[in-house]
Amino acid sequence: MRNLTKLNLLSRSAMLSVGIIAMGFSSMAMAGEATVALPASELGATSYDPIRSSNLNAATSLIYDRLVEQDADQSFHPHLAVSWEESADGLSWTFKLRDGVKFHDGEVFNAETIASWIPDFKDTENAFLVAAIEKVEVVDPLTVRFVMSRPEPNLLYNLASTFMGIPGQKSYDSLGEDYGVSTAVGTGPFKLTKFEIGLETVVTRNDDYAWPSALSTNQGAAHLETVTFREIPDQSTAFLELKTGGIDVLMGVPTDFLPILKAEENVGVITMAGTGISYMPINTTSAPFDDIKVRQATALAINQKAILESVYKGVGSQANHFLIDTLPAGDVNPKLLVSFDAAKSKALLDEAGWAMGDDGVRMKDGAPLQVKLFTKNDSDLKRLTQVVQAQLKDVGIDAVITVFDSSTIRDEYKKNNHQLAVRSYDWNNSDILEWFFSGTRLGYPNVSMWTDEKSEMLKDAAMTKSSTSAERIANFKAYHEHLLSQHLFAPLYQPAQNIAFNKDTVTVPDAIRGPRFRSQTFVDIDVVK
Amino acid sequence: MILKYSIQRLLMIIPVSLAISVVIFLIVHLLPGDPIDNLIRVGSSPEDRIALTAKYGLDQSLFEQYFLWISQIMTGDFGQAIVLRRPVADLIAQNLPYSLQLGGLAFLFSSIVGLILGIVAWASQKTWGEQFVKGFILLGSTVPGFWLALLMILFFAVNLGWFPVSGARDWTALVLPVLTIGFGGIALVARVTRVALLEVGREDFITLLHAKGLSRPTILFRHLIPHALLPVVTILALRIGWILGGAVTVEFVFGRPGLGSLLIRALGQRDYPVVQGSLLMLALAVMIGTLIGDIAQAAMDPRIREATK
Amino acid sequence: MTSAVWNKLSGFAPFRAFSSAIGIVAGGFLILLLLVAFFAPWITPFDVAAQNLANANAAPGWPHIMGTDEFGRDVFSRVLYGARTSLSVSATAIAISVSVGMLLGAAAGYFGGLFERAVMTVVDLTWSFPDILIALIFVAIIGPGLTSTTFAIAIAYLAQFTRLTRAQIVRLKSETFVEATINLGATPAHVVLRHLLPNALAPVIVVGMLAVGDGIVLEATLGFFGLGAQPPTPSWGAMMSSGTAQLFISPWVIIYPGVAVAATVIAVNLFGDELVRALDIRDRVRS
Repeated sequence: MRNLTKLNLLSRSAMLSVGIIAMGFSSMAMAGEATVALPASELGATSYDPIRSSNLNAATSLIYDRLVEQDADQSFHPHLAVSWEESADGLSWTFKLRDGVKFHDGEVFNAETIASWIPDFKDTENAFLVAAIEKVEVVDPLTVRFVMSRPEPNLLYNLASTFMGIPGQKSYDSLGEDYGVSTAVGTGPFKLTKFEIGLETVVTRNDDYAWPSALSTNQGAAHLETVTFREIPDQSTAFLELKTGGIDVLMGVPTDFLPILKAEENVGVITMAGTGISYMPINTTSAPFDDIKVRQATALAINQKAILESVYKGVGSQANHFLIDTLPAGDVNPKLLVSFDAAKSKALLDEAGWAMGDDGVRMKDGAPLQVKLFTKNDSDLKRLTQVVQAQLKDVGIDAVITVFDSSTIRDEYKKNNHQLAVRSYDWNNSDILEWFFSGTRLGYPNVSMWTDEKSEMLKDAAMTKSSTSAERIANFKAYHEHLLSQHLFAPLYQPAQNIAFNKDTVTVPDAIRGPRFRSQTFVDIDVVK
Repeated sequence: MILKYSIQRLLMIIPVSLAISVVIFLIVHLLPGDPIDNLIRVGSSPEDRIALTAKYGLDQSLFEQYFLWISQIMTGDFGQAIVLRRPVADLIAQNLPYSLQLGGLAFLFSSIVGLILGIVAWASQKTWGEQFVKGFILLGSTVPGFWLALLMILFFAVNLGWFPVSGARDWTALVLPVLTIGFGGIALVARVTRVALLEVGREDFITLLHAKGLSRPTILFRHLIPHALLPVVTILALRIGWILGGAVTVEFVFGRPGLGSLLIRALGQRDYPVVQGSLLMLALAVMIGTLIGDIAQAAMDPRIREATK
Repeated sequence: MTSAVWNKLSGFAPFRAFSSAIGIVAGGFLILLLLVAFFAPWITPFDVAAQNLANANAAPGWPHIMGTDEFGRDVFSRVLYGARTSLSVSATAIAISVSVGMLLGAAAGYFGGLFERAVMTVVDLTWSFPDILIALIFVAIIGPGLTSTTFAIAIAYLAQFTRLTRAQIVRLKSETFVEATINLGATPAHVVLRHLLPNALAPVIVVGMLAVGDGIVLEATLGFFGLGAQPPTPSWGAMMSSGTAQLFISPWVIIYPGVAVAATVIAVNLFGDELVRALDIRDRVRS
């Protein structure tokens, strides 16, 4: 122990002298400070107003607390609500609230807060989160009851979302539309001190914080005094910042950098299960994909194992259906799983009348099997798309890539100009099926352009006609299985979340709780002393 | 004479900017896609989408939308960003200082170094000095900015650790971007200076000064350089658009905010009011810059000045 | 070669540009590059699109003398093929720009008046606007791909040639031979097309050639932003864009295409300078 301290001291003084030579050229973690680079998927937040905003980042979770917290295994845990109870018919939920919780501005958190907060969602982009709540009743100062218009087994999931972080009602009501731009008041472990849109967000410790959830080890105020969240648009730049000491934590490390980071002695890498998949929707209205055999053959041409191993170096996992592994609705009939089978793919194409031509491209009635393959201008997807292109080529499908910006590609989908596309989503709930396959959203987000009576019926059952959680899972599973049987897409890959940190400056707990790297972990992060 | 000319030109800006506003509006609305898709999230219904479209007035005819926008502009209101959700004027005001800092410093840097190199090249005609400067000029004007930026990061930020890789925290973060942009500018200024000196040197009055027996340095510093400055000032004025919005690539590589980045980001998200507002502002800056450049040229032209003496 | 033929050739200005050492080296390099660009599909040692993921990011060595990229594709082959993409996009774009610019400029210069004012206002404005912004906005409107990149570059440089041509025409208009032709009863179109444009041609062509260099840089920049050539077609810019993330893993993926761009543009500029000297049009090129 003693030796260790000595060694530590030595290395610290060595670092100090380097620091003096560098004369402030590189920013090193100072006492209680940490700089975090947000992942690409969390860039571009426009405000810290959880109710009206449609784009929130990790910093939001530090400013606000939620009633409940979700763990990575989809289980729910108390936070500002200490316990809850759902009535047998699913039409009423009662929450007991934690005592002694205060907002950053001193306002007391209680049942009245909830009663005034829920109605604020009306007419906002996030209204759907509370759509099933008819009214909120204050039972006593620390008990609220939600009266539901229909059973909503997904309520806890919604309550755990970043968008349901609870803002201080006084501040929220008095600032109106300006709320969240320079002032944001929550009960969270950190207070917003500076927000420069698109550049950085600085939060400082809430010293009164005494109510972390059980997902954190630290049960008091956070260790860090200040956290700076930087938005670095180019992921390789962010990677270099970590390497040169410009940042301490890099959320969302691109897989290509993992081998290099793992080789660095002073870099710690945490790999968490992902919250989405990459997939290739198939436009079912565009010939030759109106033929289900061609669709199945296309999906079977994708070698998920090769993608995982050579493109992602084994980090993450294979995707064989539409949902992430932790969702029970993904537990479908094994016969329906999509996985690489070149022989079957070729046989199906032969059956469909597409015979192999001389140049390796299949032909039918004198026309080659040439199809459009769209993707977004995002370096990770572009890479994946080129590998998909090569795999399709192997079974005789000539896919021509076009790379669009995100707005143009949606326009192309809506105009039905597409055939195949490489896309990804980030959402850890089964209702993503409805988002991408509902007949009411043909073109975009329903890129597969799929609609049939049975799907719509199964979708309605899953979305609004389930009264218990178990029933909801069964309904989504049935919906999922039907979609799989129609070969509407090819699953490609299930990414992992990779977080890297500088071991010389910060300590991060080994086990990360929750589906994402959020406040429950940030209160445990400390600087190296 | 110059005053009348300036006022005339200044008045011209009004009709021209109106015409430009129409073009900008059409360009922006010609872009495929719309901003609403950037606002809706998983779980919202198609009805929510329609409501949002109406909320931002995007369901009205283009004609109505244009008049709404231009009448706002007339009252000095740039409107509210749709995706970025704040006044466009605030967004421009937030990004402008970064662009001015980077563009201004880069211009200052390239002007000074370019002038010196231009003078060196002129003074050392037909020697290795001239060849060296010419080579440098060539290199500076040929290397793609983003490539130079990447190499600078690799060398100065990663290997040597002298400067931060990205961001805009303090002055150290400015060094590499300024060098990257400035390097390209040096070439331009040096070339213009050298040619201007060659030309002025041929003028009769310089020959006259030589004949009067003035020393070479006196002629250089008192007469030649002031005259050679003219084209440099003119370029500064004419290049105002480049200074404000031309650093997109370098801003992207260094993760710096700025008008160019704001514009490109808003363009990608189809945030119409922001794209329109920042393009119109750039166009106005360009017109005023051109005007100043022209007036400066007219006012500082040695021939005109000599004639009015 | 007989001396008679040589005399005739050396009387032809572009050949005089080869009379200096710089001209020979730069010109030779350009000719070589043109040959490579033309024959690229047949001379690349490896298939430019063939992936070999097992051999991704291999350092330069044998047989991949410039290493391989993230898909295990041969960088040398892709640099060679990239010459084809970059040169054809840039040259086509500048050719369009020169033709349209000359017509606009000539019309403006010849007719003068309100038409000239209108054209020149637009031209001055776009000339002062950063070319990358013009190109980025244009590509956003008409969509990605080589064709749209070509048009975007053409539009970005249109102003330059319009200005230049107009300046030439205005200068020539005052010369006596033009006045004489007009007095002899020639139509405006005849005067512009038969007398003014041919005289204004040389400087515009030379500036156009120099602009091909700028066009290559702009094409590379658009490629860096992921616009332009669609994968797997190699272009120098696109190669560097997929290489950004790779700066650390495999710097050769970025370095070589960058060197190719720089070398080409330097050669274009050097040869252009020699042409200017050979044609003796220095005063007319600057404007």
